[in-house]
Amino acid sequence: MSAPPVERTDVEVESRDRAKPRRRLDPGRAQRLGLLVVIAVLVISFGSASSAFYDQQLTIFPLLRDISILCVVGLAQLAVMSIGHMNLAVGRMAALSAMVMGLAYQELHLPLYAGLVLGLLVGAAIGALTGWIISATGVNSFVVTLAMDFVLLGLVSLVYAQFTTSAAFTVKPAGMDELRKYSLADVCLGPVCGSPAVPQLFLFTVVAMLAVGWLYSRTRVGRELLLVGSNIKAAQLSGIPTGRRVIGAHALSGTLAGLAGFMLAVTAGSFTATIGSEFMIPSFLGPVLGGTLLTGGAVSVIGTLLGTTLTQVIRQGLTLLGVGLESLNIYLGAILLLALSTGRIRTVLSERKARTSR
Amino acid sequence: MTNSRILETAPPLLAAERLVKEFPGVRALDGATLTMRAGSVHALLGENGAGKSTLIKALTGLHRPDAGTLEVEGRPIVLNSSADAVRAGVAVVHQERNLIPEFSVAENITLRQIPSRRGLVDREVMRDTARRCLDLLGLDLDIDAPVKGLSVAQTQLVEIAKALSTESRVLLLDEPTSALTMAEADRLYDVVGRLRDQGRSILLVSHKLEEIFAHCDTVTVLRDGSSVLEAAPLSSYSTDEVVDLMVGRSHTAVQFAPRPTPTEGPAALELDGVATAGGHQDVSLAVRRGEIVGLYGLVGAGRTELARAILGLDRLTDGQIRVNGEPARIGDVRSALNTYRIGYVPENRKEEGLFLDQSLTMNIAVTVWERIKRAVGYVPRRKERDLAADYTTRLGIRSAGTGQQVSTLSGGNQQKVSLAKWLAAQTEILIIDEPTVGIDVRTKAAFHELIWNLAADGLAIVLITSDLPEMVTLADRVGVMREFRIAGWVDNDDHDYGTVSRAVIDLIHAREPASEPTIVRRHRPRPDHPGRQARDSTNSSSVLRGLSSGKQCGETRWHVWHRASSHRCRTLAGWRFLGDVRRGGFPDRPFVLATERRG
Repeated sequence: MSAPPVERTDVEVESRDRAKPRRRLDPGRAQRLGLLVVIAVLVISFGSASSAFYDQQLTIFPLLRDISILCVVGLAQLAVMSIGHMNLAVGRMAALSAMVMGLAYQELHLPLYAGLVLGLLVGAAIGALTGWIISATGVNSFVVTLAMDFVLLGLVSLVYAQFTTSAAFTVKPAGMDELRKYSLADVCLGPVCGSPAVPQLFLFTVVAMLAVGWLYSRTRVGRELLLVGSNIKAAQLSGIPTGRRVIGAHALSGTLAGLAGFMLAVTAGSFTATIGSEFMIPSFLGPVLGGTLLTGGAVSVIGTLLGTTLTQVIRQGLTLLGVGLESLNIYLGAILLLALSTGRIRTVLSERKARTSR
Repeated sequence: MTNSRILETAPPLLAAERLVKEFPGVRALDGATLTMRAGSVHALLGENGAGKSTLIKALTGLHRPDAGTLEVEGRPIVLNSSADAVRAGVAVVHQERNLIPEFSVAENITLRQIPSRRGLVDREVMRDTARRCLDLLGLDLDIDAPVKGLSVAQTQLVEIAKALSTESRVLLLDEPTSALTMAEADRLYDVVGRLRDQGRSILLVSHKLEEIFAHCDTVTVLRDGSSVLEAAPLSSYSTDEVVDLMVGRSHTAVQFAPRPTPTEGPAALELDGVATAGGHQDVSLAVRRGEIVGLYGLVGAGRTELARAILGLDRLTDGQIRVNGEPARIGDVRSALNTYRIGYVPENRKEEGLFLDQSLTMNIAVTVWERIKRAVGYVPRRKERDLAADYTTRLGIRSAGTGQQVSTLSGGNQQKVSLAKWLAAQTEILIIDEPTVGIDVRTKAAFHELIWNLAADGLAIVLITSDLPEMVTLADRVGVMREFRIAGWVDNDDHDYGTVSRAVIDLIHAREPASEPTIVRRHRPRPDHPGRQARDSTNSSSVLRGLSSGKQCGETRWHVWHRASSHRCRTLAGWRFLGDVRRGGFPDRPFVLATERRG
């Protein structure tokens, strides 16, 4: 079939309402640039306030380790945010995966990475189940994942009570301790392979970021996920299998949550039931600060890293300056509020702009 | 009518003078004038898009007219909100229901101004007000019963009572009888007559001309946003004269170069006696390559629903769809696109056709990723961008580049994007639903040429439009749909507006058949109820027994959907169910398709 020959001049009658080309920086990129500037300013000011902030062993290494874990948590949330959903069970999914890993190491004596893969598969399965429930029932993801959170909370506690005495799997497969302590400098002799301030766990984050970034920017499935988030009706009428995409997004979220659970367990040194209980709020902070829309249709992987970095730098810096835990939470709450409002502020601003330009 | 003569000298209750309302690219009202006098029933007529609903919105403060004046009882007035209209004594009953099903009749009637004492709802005053409003209509309803248990006709009357609760003297009724049976409509017109005798003024918008002629005193006819007949006594006009005024003789269809219309080979898309779970009955049509087949009808006639059924979004209960002569089983849009090469440009481009916050590339390439993807689902960016750029230039989409967000394009360009993805997908059959709604006249003409040329290039096109001139310009044949059936076909070989539009309007306004098809659907299955058999056994006579013994649908849990207006619950008492009964629906929500006749 050939397309219609309509390049005649009489078709082009819309010159008066032709949109003017925009030369401005697109808002997402501007937001990420802003984040980078804020982070730089904070790092410099915290550093000048207390030189301990630049201590590679005591500050930077644990800071980057926390960022690594929470960035993966953020990516887990980003996966469902791309279709306009939420995953309130992100922490408990991490707990479930970590539990399966701990069980595998203790009962099956699996090697480190075999246990990891098993845990990730369970994470993917629980995510897929959640997605299936959402797409089959049409119930809001908020409600379904909240319910899933409770179910998993009970399940995970039950299993730990059954298999352990101290509510933790303490059997460590070979390589786990090294993974916790080692930095890039330990990959090879000398400072060739990287700085001693960068933990090896960060490599997991890099792999996850590359995979998720590639998915959303280069593949058909990633694009279709974004379109489902953008307008699910139009997506369905354009031939996108929306049900399958919803399930896929949640499965990806579960997998990434499982990875974060693994990373936290490695850091903590044991697999406990409380893994992931602190994940939920940071999981939103990172992506939303970085420009991922709560309403779906736009994601930013780099932004997630930057957003997570910002919150962790603030937390670490304020702790160093001697701010108590309670007031720390007030600051973080304020940041969350600001982050969650940015999306709305952005739409209001662009709507106002559209109105004045009309 | 005697009343209206006596009051002729008094200033009109409501007068709109030369109202103008412009939307981007469209002049919806262009000097519309309407004069409503006390004690009369006034008909407002006009074809789809003539400006009736815009006029009603202007009269009720939802739209602010760009020019012209409004007067209430001789005093000029400016309406900035619907609350202003209520204060001025103008109330409207819209076509769609606006009641809260869980609330009682009394609560619904007083919803606009709930009487309160010290911050608490004053139930006594509320019930008094409600009873007074119902008395005005001569209605005897349980004011404490929830609205969800009422029949359609009763909810309609409650809406009118609600409109009266604000002391309104002018009442606007938009298609009040579209969901009612004839007996129910008669009841409604009794009430309308009573209100007229009370000295109120009623504006009636209806497509049922017989009802208009039976119950209205004066008439205003709108065409292209202006009044072509203004507050004229209806008795001095015949139905034919009014239809002529509605249609107008001024339209001369644009003629394009004739297309070769192939007559050989199987049709690209053929529907043979199709019935759907949505309620279509015995729909047959055939489109060949290079042909444009039109589907005309009023809103709610089932045209869009038919398109959705063809795409596999609604289940077929009978009949067959054939693509290129082969029987087709279309499960979803993806298989419609990939296996049968059918595309659908939806009516509501912003909600269903486009991803507004995404780029042109994303919007156009969505249908081709399947084709251009490589290993592991990798889509080369260059390739999709080139493809999008190609169709952007071919369709003359004005943009700053394929990266531009679609929400920043004009309506006409957006519609082209909505079409472009199906051309990019190389579809062979295209269903285009209301292609030019909200698009200015010049772009419209360009769009018509575009559709025409697509057909000339060999696409089979099903065109759904409520714009009659557009239909006459483009279609080779026009199927007129009414109540989920095809009421008849009109040949449009000469593209002559006068004859074709007459034939089409005659088909639309034909009298309702005596036997009116109805869908019966049972909510929540209940084991002790005869309705269970609708799912468990093929024995239709037991189903019929279950139905004919039904009482109020609220009690028996049989839900009856009127074909033309879904989600309506109707009383089953006194109906006999004849003929053919079909089972259908989802496993957990069975329904029976029955032919109903009131006994």
